[in-house]
Amino acid sequence: MKSKLEHMFLELKDTSEMMVDLAYSSLLYDNVEIAEEVISLNDRMEELSEKIQDEIAQVSRAMPDEVARAVITTRLMDSILEIAAAAKSIADVVVRGLAEHPVLAMSIRDSDTTICLAKVATDSILAGKTLGEVSLATNSGMFVLAIKRGDDYIFGPDWNSRLESDDILIARGPEDAVAFFKDIADGTRNEF
Amino acid sequence: MSDSDDISKLDHVDMSVRELLTEMKDQSEVIVDLAYASLMYNSDNMAQKVRDLENDMDDLKFAIRYKALLAARTKEDARQLSGLLEVASAADRISNAASDIVSLLRFPPDKRPLITDVLLESDERIRMIRVKKESTLVGNTIGKLAIEANTGCKVIAIKNRHGWSYDPEDDMKIRANDDLIVRGTDDGADILSQCAFGKREWDFEEEVLTQEEAESEAEEDERVEAELTEELNGEDEE
Repeated sequence: MKSKLEHMFLELKDTSEMMVDLAYSSLLYDNVEIAEEVISLNDRMEELSEKIQDEIAQVSRAMPDEVARAVITTRLMDSILEIAAAAKSIADVVVRGLAEHPVLAMSIRDSDTTICLAKVATDSILAGKTLGEVSLATNSGMFVLAIKRGDDYIFGPDWNSRLESDDILIARGPEDAVAFFKDIADGTRNEF
Repeated sequence: MSDSDDISKLDHVDMSVRELLTEMKDQSEVIVDLAYASLMYNSDNMAQKVRDLENDMDDLKFAIRYKALLAARTKEDARQLSGLLEVASAADRISNAASDIVSLLRFPPDKRPLITDVLLESDERIRMIRVKKESTLVGNTIGKLAIEANTGCKVIAIKNRHGWSYDPEDDMKIRANDDLIVRGTDDGADILSQCAFGKREWDFEEEVLTQEEAESEAEEDERVEAELTEELNGEDEE
């Protein structure tokens, strides 16, 4: 059974990683809505870090032996918060309208880990399925960071998130997985 | 002006801004994975690699500033390049954070945070996999296997008889008794483990596109990507 502290710490770490991915996505597409999500996630990170500090203080009071661990945990938390803050400063470039330099998009596309868009076609095997049902990340190598449905975004979808036709998926993964992923989404391919 | 002497002291100035930024983004991603993995496996060797990458990142940061300042001719250039430099500096901050993470290795493992438990539960987990000699992976390169595309697991490090290789290239060959450190989905790591143990055959892609087919598909994908970008940002819509 995981402690409350572990739960919060896990959320802190996973959120920091999602923020970096979303920050690069906002940069690639010069998209202010995604950038604003990164900025609001950073606020959530700060709230969460306060809760973690409170919890650490309580645990330390109850178990003095845990103080050393508590101090080190706080240091690790600071590093994770710094990663989140760096993601926020990337998002800030987008919000300020300074993401127009063509090299920004090129560098992200050239990276070992690239980002791409795909639209779910009506006849795609993804339509109507949850991400878990299709094991999309395992089967295609592409990890979905966000879904745009109509005017709304679903950021950081989980295994239970259902994909619908006309969803635009923002995904990250290796260059050699992109073509396959797009084929699966647009219905060109019907099996993994 | 004898500034050419000074330039020679800057590493990486022969690279373009595009290459520098690509390198910085790549390094900022792999360095965080390596930092967490070094805590998980209590590896000083991996921590040293993190510190080396961090030092290299500092060189890259100076090189990109130098190149960007040289490239600015107009106010518009300066405006755009200021955004670019902010991104480069963010990548550097991420690698500094990674280097701070590995500094926690100097504390005894029993005093360290619950990091191993946390890493085992993350959305994308880090795992170590030993390749047995009967595995169908043996003798193939990471590129030929397309490990990440086929399993969603990225190989972040390999340990073989020559020692550790970090962020291995596509032409790196997998041999019997190698240890792979991978980051990715649990399912994907399960498939990869089974293949590494020789309990499952690796599913090689039999279908190979001709160069022409590959090019036309890439062009088509690029066109679709441009269309979707417009749709994503809601331009020319409604």
